[in-house]
Parts: sequence; structure tokens; C-alpha cells
Amino acid sequence: MIELRDVGFEYVTTGRRTRAIQEVSLRVPRGASVAFVGASGCGKSTLLKLIAGLVTATRGIVTVDGRPVVAPLKNVGMAFQNPVLLPWRSVLDNLYLPLEILRENGDRRAVDRAQWRKRALDLLGTVGLAGAESKQPRELSGGMRQRVSLCRALIHEPELLLLDEPFAALDAFTREEMWELHQALRTEQKFTSVLVTHDLREAVFVADTIYVMASDPGRIGHVHEVALPRPRVQADVYGHAATALIGQMRAEIRPPRAPA
Amino acid sequence: MSAGPARRFVLPLGVFVLLVVVWEAAVPLLGIQQIVLPPPSGIAVTMVQTAGPIAYHARHTLATTLIGFGVAVVLGLLLGFAIGAFSLFHDALYPLLVGFNSIPKAAVVPLLVMWFGVGAVPAVLTAFLLAFFPVAVNVAVGLATLEVELRDVLRALGASRWQIFRKVGVPRTMPLFFASLKVAVSSAFVGSVISETVASNAGIGYLMAVAASDFNTRLAFCGLFVLATLGVVLYGLFAAVERRMTAWAYAE
Repeated sequence: MIELRDVGFEYVTTGRRTRAIQEVSLRVPRGASVAFVGASGCGKSTLLKLIAGLVTATRGIVTVDGRPVVAPLKNVGMAFQNPVLLPWRSVLDNLYLPLEILRENGDRRAVDRAQWRKRALDLLGTVGLAGAESKQPRELSGGMRQRVSLCRALIHEPELLLLDEPFAALDAFTREEMWELHQALRTEQKFTSVLVTHDLREAVFVADTIYVMASDPGRIGHVHEVALPRPRVQADVYGHAATALIGQMRAEIRPPRAPA
Repeated sequence: MSAGPARRFVLPLGVFVLLVVVWEAAVPLLGIQQIVLPPPSGIAVTMVQTAGPIAYHARHTLATTLIGFGVAVVLGLLLGFAIGAFSLFHDALYPLLVGFNSIPKAAVVPLLVMWFGVGAVPAVLTAFLLAFFPVAVNVAVGLATLEVELRDVLRALGASRWQIFRKVGVPRTMPLFFASLKVAVSSAFVGSVISETVASNAGIGYLMAVAASDFNTRLAFCGLFVLATLGVVLYGLFAAVERRMTAWAYAE
């Protein structure tokens, strides 16, 4: 369970104090899937880093499973819009990177080296990249790289997956495939998922709870539960309930203005 | 612009041969005095006659260049890593490094001679001073431009700074490092020749200075030819090393 209590985050650049996040309180139960949506610069990504412990709250407290987050968590998988694969490593060796780090640090989830290959190949199979393990990243399309990036985030079977607009650079159809993939992986691995996105339809497909954020300072404006049953299919996000919800969130993020 | 290997090698070679032929013909045709511009054939004769001493001086230049270059690579790598990995070092040292690099290194040679006397030491040091900067800067830039996302992915796994440096920082810096080697070796070569010309009793630079004071134009041209050859070979060598060590950065 992730819990944020009155969390605020300020930073100072060139003498100016910026309030990125103000008074955010929320709870994400273990195994849930939540999404943060909102305009650019509303602090969505900062919130993600606060949860991961990559930055520390200047007010309030973040806890994961009851423990305060004061340093980077060690059981987290992350993926970003930029897949940042290592170009000098094959797909398989890219997937080994998290395991190498965990093993060096004595984490028992990575010690059994004999299982690395099986686990990596299984994951690649799940995301439709069977047979691509010895390819170099430059040989892959953008969608394939993003799949590998997702696999790398999940190879060590983390309890928490943090996604920062991971599908934003993909074409519409590939993006929809990735949503389904996310669903399939979550059914398999049962991780808690936190997604930051601009794509409201994506949020509706992926999340159980959607937080609509407001800007200046970043805070939670509205919270919506997505009542669609699982497993979801693409048609669900075009149904009446989803369309109404998307319309409402759109209005919350960009309030309609009277014509001048 | 597709250029086959034949075109890439034969064409420049043909132009070179043509130049030599024109030069050979122009000297007698235009009545140019040999002390001003000797024909290539004359230079070749001198080259063969003085092959021994030329080889001795070439070895000396090569040795001072490579020693200076070697020290520059080691220290450049270390300083580059320090500057690239720690913002404290970057803020403290980078401006000094840039300022220092803007000094024309030839101007430092007289000081080096005062301190170390005429000989190989000033040549090695000048080579080092010229070669050091490109290595340090390239390595620092390679480390400092590590993608924030990649750093976050690794930190969220509990990776230490040292692990991030080792697993990601160093490998992704290698293409820049190897690219800097070919620049650095050429710079080291320039440095040692400058120093030899001013203050040495061995090396091709010294040979050319002596040839010039004797109005031995042929010998001066021999020195020039040796320098050109050495320069191309050194550059080519490290360009080949670069391609071999970091093929992933080029295959696109």
C-alpha cells in the first residue's frame, strides 16, 4: 500500500522557490492500478518520483507498506517515454541489467542466475517479442523498444511499477496494444501500477482510480473510480460510461472558456 | 554519394601522384632553384642517403609523442571521470581547464626549457599538455550527459552511484573517449614537434630546425614527409581502434 499524507514538494532554482506539489493525500492499495492525468507541468512526474523515493517530500510523508520513503525504493520497476535501452547490449543483456544490480547488492530476487534467461524469455514472449532476445536495440522499432523497456521494468518482479508516459511516443494502435499488454502483465505478476499520462483514454483503460491534477501548485483536483469490469477490451473505452468520464475529466483539466 | 573502395582509395592516390608529377616537371620548366624548392626525385634521393639519421630522429619523435600521449590519456581519463561524475569537481575545475586550454601551448615551451633543460622532457610535456584536454573534456561530457530516465530506472533498483558509473556511465562514454584518442594523438604529435623545433637535440623537429639553418631544403622536405606519414599513421591507427572498440555507436 502506498500512502501520501499532506505531501508537498518545493524546490529552489536560481533563487526562486517553486511549489511543485501541495497537500497531496491519497492511498493506493496493494495490487491496484492508478493513473495521474493533468496538464503539462502539474507535478505528475514529481509525484511519481516522490513515490519512488527519487526525491524526498519537503512536507508531509510518503509511506510504502507502512515504511516512510526516505531513500530510493529498491523494489520498483520504472519505464519512461524514452525507453533508454543500453545500445551496447543485446535485448537479453538489457533485461539482465536490473538483475545484475540486485545481485551485486545481495538481493535474493536476483541471485539464482540460472533462472535469468528463462524469466527474460518468458517476459519477451508475453510482450510478443519471442525470438528478439539477441537483437540489438537499434534493430528494433519504437514500439518494440518500449516493450523491452517494460520487460526491463518487470524482470525482477517488482511489487510496484511506475510508468511516466511510457506509451506517449507510440502510434495509436501500438499504444492500444501496450494497454492490453499492461493488463496481461498485471494479471500475471499482480504488481501495483502507477501511471502518469496525458492520454485520458489510456488512463481509463489502465487504471482503477484516476487522479485529475490541477496546476500551480500541483495538487489533486478530482478523483474518479473507473467502474469498467476486467479484463477490459478496447471497445470498453469507447462505451457510454467511459466517454462520459473522459469528457468530464477533459473539462476538469481544461475548463471550457466563453468565446471572446 | 556512394563511393566504392576503389574510388575512395584510388582517386586521392591518383591526385597525389599527379601533384608529384606536376611538381617534378615544374621545377626545371620554371627554372626554380633547388634551394628554394627541390624536385620530389631529389628529396627521395636525400631520403635514401640519410635514411639512418632520419629513422633515428623519427623514432625519437614517435617516442616523445607516445609517452606524452599515454600520460595524457591516463590523467585525462581520471580527470574526465571526476569532472563528469561529481558536480563539485565540474564547477571547481572545468572553467580552469577551459582557460588553460586557451593558452597557445607553444608559449609554454620556453618555460619548460627553463625548468627541465633542452631535451626530451619539454617535448613529452608539451605533447601531454596538448593531448590532455580533448580526452578529459570528452570523457566528462560522456558521463555528464547520462539520460536522467536511465539514472532513475537504476536508482529505483537501489543502484549506487558507483554501480551506475560502472554499468552505464563508463560504457556509454567509451565512444567519446575513443573518438578523443585520435584527436589527442594528433595534438600530442604537434606538441612534441613544436618543442623539438625550439629546444631539443633529437627528433624530426630538431632535424628540420638544423636543416633550415643549413639551408638544406631537401632534408627539411624529408622531415616534412616523415611528419606527414607519422601523423596519418597515428591518426589512422586510433581511428581504427575507435571503430573496433565501439562499433555499436556507429552501426545504424
